[in-house]
Amino acid sequence: MANLLSTVFSSPSLVFTAAFLLRAILLYTDIDYLVFTDAARFTFSSPSSSSVSGFLPQGSPYDRETYRYTPLLAYLLWPTTPAAAASLPGPRVLWASWGKILFAGADLAAGWLLVAVLRRHRGLSGPRALQYVGAIWLLNPMVATISTRGSSEGLLGVLVAALLWAVLERRVVLAGFLLGLGVHFKIYPFIYAPAIVWWMDAERMGSRSKPINRSSNGLLGKLQRFVTPERVVLTLVSLSTFAALNLAMYALYGHDFLQHTFLHHVTRIDHRHNFSPYNVLLYLASAAKESGGFKIESVAFVPQLLLSVVLIPLVGAKKDLAATMLAQTFAFVTFNKVCTSQYFLWYMVFLPLYLPHSSLTRRPRLGLAALGLWVAAQAAWLQQGYELEFLGRSTFAPGLWWASLAFFLVNCWILGLIIGDLGSSSTIASASSSSSTPSSASNKRKN
Amino acid sequence: MRQRTTFLHRNEDAIDPASLKVSGRTLSGPNIRAVREDRFTLGLDELPAELQELLRLSQELYIRWTSPMPYQAMGPWSSRLSPGLHVFYTPQADAKANVASDHEICLLLRRLGSVECSSPNKSFSRLPNDRFSHSTALEYYQPVYDLTNFVEYAVQYACAPSDAECKTCFDALKQASSLDFSYDTISHVVKVTALWGRQNQPLSVSAPASHRVEVGLLTPNEPPHLEQHEIGVTGLLTVLGEDSKPAPTMFTFPSRHKQASTGFSSTFLTPTGLHPTMQLHINSNKPPMEEDTYCALHALLTLPRTIFADKYQLEDTLFLASKNLTALRYISQPVDLEAPDYVMDIWGSSVLLELSTPVAESKEGFTAEIPLHLRYQSPQHGGESTFEVPYPAVFWACAAEEGTKFPSSPFDRINLGYDGLFGPRTLFWHLDPVAKSGSDQLVIGGKVPVLDLDKSRSINTVTSIVVVVGFAWVVYRLMMVYLRTGYGVAQPVKAAEKKQQ
Repeated sequence: MANLLSTVFSSPSLVFTAAFLLRAILLYTDIDYLVFTDAARFTFSSPSSSSVSGFLPQGSPYDRETYRYTPLLAYLLWPTTPAAAASLPGPRVLWASWGKILFAGADLAAGWLLVAVLRRHRGLSGPRALQYVGAIWLLNPMVATISTRGSSEGLLGVLVAALLWAVLERRVVLAGFLLGLGVHFKIYPFIYAPAIVWWMDAERMGSRSKPINRSSNGLLGKLQRFVTPERVVLTLVSLSTFAALNLAMYALYGHDFLQHTFLHHVTRIDHRHNFSPYNVLLYLASAAKESGGFKIESVAFVPQLLLSVVLIPLVGAKKDLAATMLAQTFAFVTFNKVCTSQYFLWYMVFLPLYLPHSSLTRRPRLGLAALGLWVAAQAAWLQQGYELEFLGRSTFAPGLWWASLAFFLVNCWILGLIIGDLGSSSTIASASSSSSTPSSASNKRKN
Repeated sequence: MRQRTTFLHRNEDAIDPASLKVSGRTLSGPNIRAVREDRFTLGLDELPAELQELLRLSQELYIRWTSPMPYQAMGPWSSRLSPGLHVFYTPQADAKANVASDHEICLLLRRLGSVECSSPNKSFSRLPNDRFSHSTALEYYQPVYDLTNFVEYAVQYACAPSDAECKTCFDALKQASSLDFSYDTISHVVKVTALWGRQNQPLSVSAPASHRVEVGLLTPNEPPHLEQHEIGVTGLLTVLGEDSKPAPTMFTFPSRHKQASTGFSSTFLTPTGLHPTMQLHINSNKPPMEEDTYCALHALLTLPRTIFADKYQLEDTLFLASKNLTALRYISQPVDLEAPDYVMDIWGSSVLLELSTPVAESKEGFTAEIPLHLRYQSPQHGGESTFEVPYPAVFWACAAEEGTKFPSSPFDRINLGYDGLFGPRTLFWHLDPVAKSGSDQLVIGGKVPVLDLDKSRSINTVTSIVVVVGFAWVVYRLMMVYLRTGYGVAQPVKAAEKKQQ
C-alpha cells in the first residue's frame, strides 16, 4: 500500500488524473451553483423577455436575488445558459455543468502552481512536492466536493496561488494584475497587498535602477529606500486593474453592482448560524431594540484587520511569504463575523506550501492534535446545527455558541503555531536562496 | 342605506311557504338550515368620518375577512380565501393623496385588530399590473382570526347606547364566516357583505324605518339549458314594508366561482425544523368539468412573513414533479430570502402553485408537498416561538367556453387576489377546506427554535472575553517571533541557537 502510494505520488500524471477523477462526480449541486447559473441566464437574456437568452450580456446578474459576486463570474458561466448550450456542440447536460468543470479545473491549475512554487522556491523535490499538494489539495475530498458542487472558491484558489507564484517569480506586473483581479472578485485578497509589498524589498528584487543611499538613515532615507520601482509598479497595476474592473462594472450595472458586490458585506446582519464566534452574539444583537454598553461585534474588524493586514505581514512577510499569507488568511477567516466551510478553502490552498517545513509535520503528534481538534470542534458545531436546522431544537445557546467559541480557540491556537514557525523558517529562506531564482544572491541580506 | 338579506338552502331543507309571516316591517318563520348573506349598500356620507377621509384618497379598496372556522359554502358564495384579513388597495394616483392615505389605511386596519401595518409603502406588497386591469395595486394580509375588535368599533359608531337590538345585530358578526368591504370610485358606493355558512339559524329579519330591506329565500334550481358557468335559483322575495306577502321568483346568473364538491386538508410534516414542508391532501384527482375542458388544480398560499417559499427552489421541474407540483405560477414581490422576521415591514407573501394530479382511471386522493422556509425570529425566553399559516385556497381553474362573458351578477365577488392572475374567461371550482382531526380551525403551524434568552445573559461578556483571549494569544506569539528575529529574514544563527536549546 505504501509502495503503491509512493508510486502514485511520484507521477504527476497519476496524481492529476486521480484528482480529475475525484472531481468527475458532478451529481450534487450546491445552492450557490444555482445562484451563479441563474445569474448567468439573467445576464444573457434581454430585459424584455426573460426566456430568450442570447450571446450578449444584455441583462443583469443582479436580477437574481442573493447574487453577491462580480458579473465576471456570470460571464464565465455563459455556456450554462440555455441558448449557449443549444448553440454549443456536445450534450446539453455537460454544458449545464460547465461551471463545475471550470471550478474543478481551477482546482487542478492551483495544484499545478503549488507544485511549481514548492519545487522552485521551497526546495522540495518533484515527488515530495507532489506528495504534499496531492494529499492536501488535489486529492482532498473537501476541496474536490466544494468545487464539484459548484462553489466558485476554486477560482479564488487558483487566483491566489497564481498571485504567490507570480510574486516569487518576480513577475511584478502579472502579480499586480492578479491582485487587482482577486480583490475585485472577492475583496479578501486585499490582505495580501501589505505582505507582498513588504516582501518586495530592493535587496530581494535585485533592484539596480535606483542607487541605494546608505548614508541617509533618517525618515526620508528610509522612505526613499522603501519606495522601490517594483513596489510602485505593483501598486499602480493592482490599483488600476481593480479600479478599471469596478468602473466597467459600475458603468454596466450601476448601483446594483456596488450594492451586491461590496456594500452588502458592510450592511448585512449575518444572523444565520455559521462557524463565526460572533454568530450567536450577532443574532442576539440584531434583534435587540436598544443598545447599551460595550459591543465587541461592532469592533470585530479591529482584531481581524490588525492581525491579517498589519501585524502578521510586518513580522512574517520577509521571513516566509507563503506561510505569512497562510497565517493572514487563517487570521482573517478565524476573526471574521461570518464563517462557513467554503472559507476554509481560502487558507487550505497555502497549506501544502507551509506544512513541509512546519512544526506540525516535524512533530506529528502536535500535527495530529491540531487536525483532531480542528475537526472535533467542527463536528460538534455541525451536530448542534443539524439539531437546530432539521429537528427544530433550540441549540443556539449554549450548544452552537460554545461549539463556535471552541472552534475559534482551536483556530487561534493553530494560528499561534503557524506564527511560531515563522520565527524558525530559516530552512525555507536558505532553500529558496539555493534555488535558481534570479536574485538568489541578495536573499540572505536583511532589509 | 339598502339591505339585501338572502337565505340559500338546499331543496331538502325547504320550509313550508305558508309558515312565513310578513307583518309590518318584519319577516319571520321557523328556523332554517341555510347560508345567509347580508349585503348593505351605503353612501359615503353614512360612514364614519375617518373612513370617508380614507375613501376620498382611494381608488379601490377591498377588505376581506374570512373566519378560521370551517363553513359549508353554497351556490354563488363558493369562492374561498385563506382565513384572516386580506386587503386589496389602490390609492388615488396623485402623490399628495398617497402620502395622506399612507397614514389613514393603517389607522383603519388597526380598528380591525391588525397592529403591524405601518404604511402601504412598507407593509403592503405590490400586485402585478401588467396582466389584467381588474387587479388592485397593493395587497396586505394579517392573521386576524376574530372580529371582536371590529364589532366593538362598529357598535360604538353605529348604535345608540340604549339600542340593544342594534348591538345584537353586530354581535352576530362574531359568528360570521366572512365579511367583505368593497369600494371603488366608479360606483362610489360602499358594499358591506357578511356571510354565515350553511347552518341551522332563525329566520327573522326586521327593517328599521330608515332603510329598504329586501329578503330572499332561495334554493338552487337547474332549469334546462343552464350553462356550466351559470347558477340558477328559485324561491321567494319580499321587500319589507312594501310587500304584504313574499313574491315567487326564478332566475339564473353567471358565476365565476363554483363548488368542486370535494375537499382538501393541509398539515406540516414533522419535525418541521427550520424548513417546514406543507402537505396538502386532496381528496380527488378528478377535474370538475368534462375532459375536453382545460382545467388545472391550483393552491394559493398566504404566507405571513415568518415563513416563505424560495422561488428558485421551485423552478426545478424534476424536484417539483417529485412533490406533485407542476409549477410556481406567481409569487408576490419582494420576498427577501435572508432577512430575519424582526427587521421586516412587509406583511409576507402570496404564492400561487399549480399542482399536478396523478393520472388514474378511478377517482383517488393524493398529496402534494410544498417546501417552505422559516425566518429567524427574535430571541425568546424558553427558546421557542411559534408560526401559524392559514389554510391555502385550493381550486380548479378551468377555461370557460369561447365567448363566455361574466357580466356583473348580483352576487359577484371580484378582487380576491388570485382572480386577477387568470384570464377573464376562467371558472374557479373551489375545494372545501377540511380541518385536520384534533383541530377545529383552518390554521396550521408549529414551533420555531429561537435563541433562548434565559441562556443568553452571558453571551456578550463571554464572547468578548474569548475573542480578546484568542487575539492576545496570537499577538503574544507574534511578539515572541518579533523579539527573537525582528521583522526581517530569520537569521540562520538564531535559528541554530534555538535548535540547541
